[in-house]
Order: sequence, then structure tokens, then C-alpha cells
Amino acid sequence: MLEKILNFIFLRPFRAGRAMKRFVAHMEGELSDEFLETLLGLMGLVFCLSPEFRRNIEGFSGIYVFRTRDGAVAASAVFSNGRLKKCDKAVAGADIEITFRDGRTLMDFFFAPKPDVLTAMLKQDITLNGNLNYLYKFAYTANHLRLKVRELLG
Amino acid sequence: MATVTLKDIRLQAYTLDTMPLLRQLRDECVNAKAEVCIERARHITEYLRDKSTDNDPIETRYAGAVAHFLSNKSPLFFDDNLLSGTTTTRHFGAPVYPELTGMTIWPELDTISTRNKNPQKLTAEDAKTLNFEIFPYWMRRNILEYARLKIKDPEWMKKNMPDYIHAEGPANCLQLFERLVFFIAGKAGCISHTVPSYRKVLERGLGGIIAEAAEMEARLRADGRLVKENADKIEFYRAVQMALSGINIYAKNLSQKAAELALIEKDPWRRENLTRMSAVCSVVPEKPARNLREAVNCIWLIQTAIHAENINMAMSPGRLDQILYPYYRKDIDEGNITVRDALEIIGCLWLKLNDNTNLVPETAEELYGGAGTVPAVTIGGVDEDGEDAVNDLTYIMLRVTELLRTRDPSMNARYHYLKNSRQYRDRVAEVIVNTGCVPAFHNDVIDIEVLKNQGMTEEHARDYAIIGCVELASGGRSYDASSSIMLNLVSVLELALYNGRRPVTGDDVITKAFGDPARCRGFEDFRDLFEKQLRYIIDEAVKLNNILGRAYQEIMPSPLLSAFFEGPMDRGRDLIHGGALYNSSGATHIGFADTVDSLSAIQQAVFEEKRFSFDELIEALKADFKGHEKMQAYLMNRMPKYGAEAPVDSASTQPVSVGNAAYLTGLLFHICQGHENYRGGRYKPAYWTMTNHAGQGKMSGALPNGRHAGKAFASGITPVSGATRDLAVCLKAVGGLKGIYIPGGEAFNLKYPFVDINDAGDMDRFGSAVEAYFRYGGLHIQFNIMSYEMLLEARAHPEQYQELLVRVSGYSAYFRDLNDAMKDEIITRTAYDLGSGRAEPFPESITPPNLPLP
Repeated sequence: MLEKILNFIFLRPFRAGRAMKRFVAHMEGELSDEFLETLLGLMGLVFCLSPEFRRNIEGFSGIYVFRTRDGAVAASAVFSNGRLKKCDKAVAGADIEITFRDGRTLMDFFFAPKPDVLTAMLKQDITLNGNLNYLYKFAYTANHLRLKVRELLG
Repeated sequence: MATVTLKDIRLQAYTLDTMPLLRQLRDECVNAKAEVCIERARHITEYLRDKSTDNDPIETRYAGAVAHFLSNKSPLFFDDNLLSGTTTTRHFGAPVYPELTGMTIWPELDTISTRNKNPQKLTAEDAKTLNFEIFPYWMRRNILEYARLKIKDPEWMKKNMPDYIHAEGPANCLQLFERLVFFIAGKAGCISHTVPSYRKVLERGLGGIIAEAAEMEARLRADGRLVKENADKIEFYRAVQMALSGINIYAKNLSQKAAELALIEKDPWRRENLTRMSAVCSVVPEKPARNLREAVNCIWLIQTAIHAENINMAMSPGRLDQILYPYYRKDIDEGNITVRDALEIIGCLWLKLNDNTNLVPETAEELYGGAGTVPAVTIGGVDEDGEDAVNDLTYIMLRVTELLRTRDPSMNARYHYLKNSRQYRDRVAEVIVNTGCVPAFHNDVIDIEVLKNQGMTEEHARDYAIIGCVELASGGRSYDASSSIMLNLVSVLELALYNGRRPVTGDDVITKAFGDPARCRGFEDFRDLFEKQLRYIIDEAVKLNNILGRAYQEIMPSPLLSAFFEGPMDRGRDLIHGGALYNSSGATHIGFADTVDSLSAIQQAVFEEKRFSFDELIEALKADFKGHEKMQAYLMNRMPKYGAEAPVDSASTQPVSVGNAAYLTGLLFHICQGHENYRGGRYKPAYWTMTNHAGQGKMSGALPNGRHAGKAFASGITPVSGATRDLAVCLKAVGGLKGIYIPGGEAFNLKYPFVDINDAGDMDRFGSAVEAYFRYGGLHIQFNIMSYEMLLEARAHPEQYQELLVRVSGYSAYFRDLNDAMKDEIITRTAYDLGSGRAEPFPESITPPNLPLP
């Protein structure tokens, strides 16, 4: 009940709808420096709105840092207490740091039909520092979100 | 001593028409679709998470987990196979090992069932269980992450790996591995890759082995000395008892279930079969086997039990024609079975060995695509006394292989040209022609010497068996971990060419800038740069392997598997702690031929002829020869090629490619053998590649041998396709490599477009070529008997070639399951006309990987 009240107060459904539109635009190829923020933002909102989706992060804590080699993009996702908090800079103490070749590679990775960690590593599109299992989990969550969005859009 | 009593070694009277059971089972096997099975993952995770703690002693803790799974393993009967037991809960299952490779499919949980390449069905419910219950437990506990945390722990490194603490930092090896284009650290996904021995369990039953472990434990307890070594041994013996008891419970559950099913079965044949299976499982594996059916079922149950503890990769049953022969002989002599019965029982085992596959992410299908679990069976050769070991079962197993033509087991025929009969040699050749690709031939004369050179006794060396693809082991005596390192030699070459960088990794200096090759004054200077890079990469790969090995020792012992080896039970020491009689780690190398040819091109074109400068060469490579077509044509067609030049008697005048091939194999042997693994054994260099030569080829730039960027390398130790037009010269060149420098095994892939099995001349040429190659000194040879045109047709119309089996590089795969790059690589392998010994011209539609573009 409290969750529903908070969702209403913070206009989360409305914000999720807007984020979803931006997300879909990125899925269809529109590149912008804000796409990672869009992804993390939408993910965070959906975690609030969907108990089923939130189950993926119940009891889970982890810090992800995403960046591009040229430094144009840097963002962190902090999971704790069933929430995702996004930061627009690298946070210390990351469980995994993922460095992408460039912004396009980062976007292609997350919005590909399926995020392929191993191919990205083979092609040197990403380099990693940290616990690879965290990336696997994140890739699953992002892919799951993408499939859900497609499902919702029909 | 050889004992062949069969009237017809070809067993022509026995076909799938006369053995409809095998036909039915085979059809079901070939058409089965892979399904993910989480039963093992669930039980193992449940035990470790809920029924034990991280502070429990690891040997008994892990044995407890394995026993818990086996005790609760579903006793299932999917078909009319004569043998009880299944690897998974699916007819054709891919078990999940979350502590090893299982986590790699986490991103694909929603899509693995429908992916393009080799989908594996996963139910939504199982996907949820993996996502919410199983994988979260292993996030910090799977072997790679555990090792990574230890690398970052200075106290752990100081205590366990003090030699690896240096300026570059111990994490360098892990970072290199995570690039995936320098070497693969096999232990991140598995050890397995060994040949256990079933003799003890067949003769004494698990009850006998458990009693032995109990007695050893009791003796140590009675000793009373409170030393850590005793405590470790006691724990090991307890763990063995726990793990093996789990197998007995599984067998009893199978027996009970079979009996229950028999009661309600209406079909008389099925009722009888279930009743018999129930009876078999009430005896084996707890008690000694008394007949062939019990012996075979015992072996199968142990195989499934081993996979409860160790991942299903190349866990190889060994010399089954030798191990099972006493039971066959007794049954036949006493009139208990017929030859037909024996064929059916062996056929059922062959089909059971196909009941599981590896769970891999889609990308791995690109690298290793189409591989089964590669359990290798070895037949023929000599016995421990050095005498002909071929017997009736050898021919029975050949006939079964010929009839069934399944991907697994990976069949290997040992051939001793001084002791085995020509009749046997030619029969193996016939089976290869009839199946199109199996079995592989292994040279007893050289293989035995290779193993003796590694410190094995002559008797143990003579008893060798093949692991997985081509690696050599003494079954139940050597713990070989033969896939520990898979090193990309071309990456080393590129590091030398680009002074510590590779095109695929961009501007990053990966290793060290040992020197600009343009400043080399002679070929020896460049070889020196190459050697420095090679030593650097090998050092890092060995370092990571030893760290991973140490991690296995701490969290993933193998008490169950240890029970089937000589050594552990005497020493009270798990295999992972060096309990086996012989210990080693395998380091295989990818891109051998391309590297040798590139060295030869540099030697001759740059330094001897001075036709191009190094700067010009590098410029052309960076451009992928665009604008440098004449240079490419020269490098392709005028430079010495490995396989196209035969060794000569005088060491000082060896042809260039022969010299470079000898240099490289010798260098790798000495570097690898100079390293010690975490079990006190040596590293054994090998040359088998699975499909890495295609996958790594995609990541590599153009090379001095004229190869274009992104093209597949040559497989195994095989010369580059199109490089050698003369079969005899090719056989001499490859056979002339020093065998004792290849203790890990080699894969030499040859193709004939057609062999007329009804032409005695053709068959004689086939067998004679193998023998000639072995007399030159070659270790191994395997074939694809298929033309360019047929393979092109199979590529274009896969629906018409659903069951086309091909030999990849040490294992067999269905052509339809291979990725496009691998299909092309197999298509463009040089095909030799057996009559003329000349390479067949490529059809116009083919552009082999290394011929210049038109």
C-alpha cells in the first residue's frame, strides 16, 4: 500500500511512460549521450512499479560503473534495499566496472536483440574489471526489461 | 594378447535392420532436441546453501553435496535402452554447473530456447529457479570469481603464490584472459578431461571401494597422531565413502523404479527389459559385475555419477574393448549371450553416451559450435606387455560405430604397425570410409614413447587411452587436465609484429614493447622478439591456471572421481591435490601452421631476399593487403609453406618451413615443460583446436603468410589449406615433427573426396598412407571422406544432410550444427585424391581462406 502511495506521489507511472518512449527510441537506433541514463532510469522506475520485476533485486546489493573509453559517458547503478539508484558519474567500490569502446557500442550492447557479453569481450567492445557474474545478472535484467517493453507495446 | 574369434570381423550379418532396437534408439537420439536440466544445480546449491556452511571441511562438504544430489536424482526411463541411468532429467539434456560455466547463460534465460544457433529448451519455471534461487548463490562463489577475489587478496597470494607477486601485478593474467583473444583459461569452465578407470569398480564393486576407504580411515584414526596431514587424509576417505554411497542409492532407486514400472507395463518385451534392468541395478555398481550387461551398465552409472561432480566435458571412458573383454568372453563362452546381444549392449552404451550435451551461451556455440561432450572411447593397440590387444570387442565396437554414426562417443583406434594386424588397420579404414569420418587413428609406436618421455612406466604408457579430442592419458593413473590452456599463437605473432599490441585490441600495449621489428637486423632478432612475447603470454597463462588450480583445491575437490584412480586411495589425497600417479596440465596451441608460415615468410621475404622491408610488410598487413595485392600473391605463392616441404636428412640444410616448424614445436615444448603446475606436474604442449581456429581467426588481422584478416586459421597441426599439393610431402612434413615435443597430443585433419571401399587398391592406399605417416613419426590422423561439392551442397541445403557427421579438430559434429565460419573451414580444407596423391583443385565457387581475392 505504501508503495502504491509513493508511486502516486512521485508520478512514477507517468515518468515510466515517458522513459519508455525514450527507451523505445533508443531501441530503434537513436543514439544520444543520455541513453544509459534512460535505461537505468526506466529500470529504476519499473522496479518500483512492478513487484514481479522488483523480485530480481530483492536482497541484492551491487554497484555497477559504466563508462566509455573516451570518458563521454560515465554512469553508475547502485542496487540496494530493493531499489536502483543511478548516478551520472563513477561511484567508488564498484562490484564491476564495464568500459565500452564508445557510446554506440554501449548502446548496441544493451539494445541488441540480446546482450551478448562474450561476443562483446571477444570483439574488445568491452573490458571488464570486477565480478563478471554481476554483468550477467545485469544483462539478464536489461534483456528482460526490453522483452517486457516489447510485450507491452505489442 | 589378441584374441579374435569372430568369423567375420566386419560383422556384416548385423545391421540396423536386423537390430531394430538400435535403429529405433538411434533415430530417437539423432532427432532429440536439447533441453536444459537444472536438477543437479538445484540439489547441489540446496545442499551447499542450506545444509552446510562455508566453514565445513571442503572434501566432505562437496562429497555431501554430490551424495545429496545422487540420492535425490530422479530415476528415469525415457526409452527402450537396455541400460539404466540418465545423465539428466531430459532425454537429451544440458546440465547446469553454476559453479563453472552455468552463469554464462544468465543473460539468455529468456531467449536460450529460441536462439538461432543450437537452441536449448528451458522451461519458464526452471528459468525462474535459476534466476531467483540458484544463480544468486553462486555470484561470488563460482570458480572464476573465487579465483579473482583470491588474486586481489595479498595475504592469500603471499601464502599460496608468492612467486606471482611482482611489479606487473597478479591480476594481469586475469585481465589478459578476459580479453579472450590471447588464451583461454580452461579451468574457468572445467577440468574434467581425463580417463578414469573402471576396472576396480567392476571387479570389487563400489562396496569394495567404500570398504577400502573405511579401512584406511580407521587405520589413520587408530594411529592417533594429531597431524594435519592425517586429518586431511581422514577427511578425504570419509568424502570418498559419502560420495560413492550416493551412487549406490541412485542405483537402488533405479532398480526400484524399474520394478514398479515393470509391474504396470503391458508390453511383454518392455516388461522383461524393465525387470532385467531392475535386477542389474540391484547388483551393480555396489557389487562386482558378473556379466557383460552388468559391467556395461556399471560403467554407464559411474559415468553419470562422475558428472554429478565434474562437468560433462571429455570425461572419457577409455579402453572399453580391453576393460569389458573378460565379461564378454565369459558370457560368450558360457553361451549366455550371442554376438548380436553384445552388439546391442554396446550400441545401447554408445547411445547413452549421447544423452547429454554442454550448456553453453550462444557465443560459445560460435567458438566451439557443434561439439558434443566428447567422451572418448579408445580401442585396439597393444596391451601392457606390448602385444596385440585387438579382440572381438574391438571389432564389435567398430561395427557399432559404423552402424550408429553418432556424434559421441569420440572413437579412437590405436594402431601399432609392428604388432597389430593389417586386417585390423584396414577394417578401421573401412569404418572411416563408411561413416565418412570416424574413428581417428593413433600411432602406438610414437604415443608410447611420448608418454615414457614424460616419466610414465612402459606398462602404463602402453595402456594409454585418449581424452576428449586427441590427448594422451594412462587411464586411471594420470590426471591430465588437458584443456587447461588454449593459447592463440597468432596473437603472439601479432604482439611481436606490433611491438606489444594487436590490431583487435587497438592501441593498448598488452604485454611489453620488447622491440620494434623494423629494427631487426636479421631473422634471429625477430624470432627473439617472438620468443619474448611467447614466454610472456605463456607465463601469464600458467600463472592463471595455477591460481585457478589452487582455487579448485580450496572449493571444488573431486573425491568421487578420485576413487577411480590409482594413487588417491593409497595416498589419501584427492586428485586435485596431486593424488594421481602422474600429474600434468595440457596447453594446446591455436594457429600453429599460420604462425610457422608467417615466420617463414618473414625469414625469406624480409630478411633473406630483402624483397620487402618490415615497414612495408606491416603497412600491407594493416591494410589487409588492399593496395598490396602483388605482395600478398608473392607471400601466398612463393614463400615456404609448412606441409609443402619435407624434412631432409641433414639438420643444417632443412627447408625453411621445416626449420621453423621444428623451432616452434621445440620452443613450446621447452617453455611449457619448464613450468610446474599446482599439483607438481609439468605442462604438456598440444596442437588441437576444437573450433577455436575459426573463432580466433575472426579476431585476427592479416598475416605475413598472406592470410586475410578475419579468416579461419588452419586446424590443429594441419597445414594451411591450399598450401601443399602433394599428399606424400604433407605426410612427411607433419609426421617429421618430433613426437616427443607433442606430449599433449595433436589433431591432424586430412580430407579425401572419395575412397572406393570396393576397390582393394584404394583401401590399400588408404591404410598404407596412414602407416607411412606413422612410420615418419606422426602421432594422430583423422579424416573427412567428402568432396568439396558435397560439402557445398550440405551447406546450401542442410535439410538434406541432417545426419552428415564431420571430423572437426579432434571431435565429431553434425555439419548442420557448425557455425558458418567452421563450415567454410571444413569445406575449404585441402582434399587429396588418394590415387594420385595430388590436391584436388578447388571448385570455382570456393575462395579458400588464404588464396588472394580475385
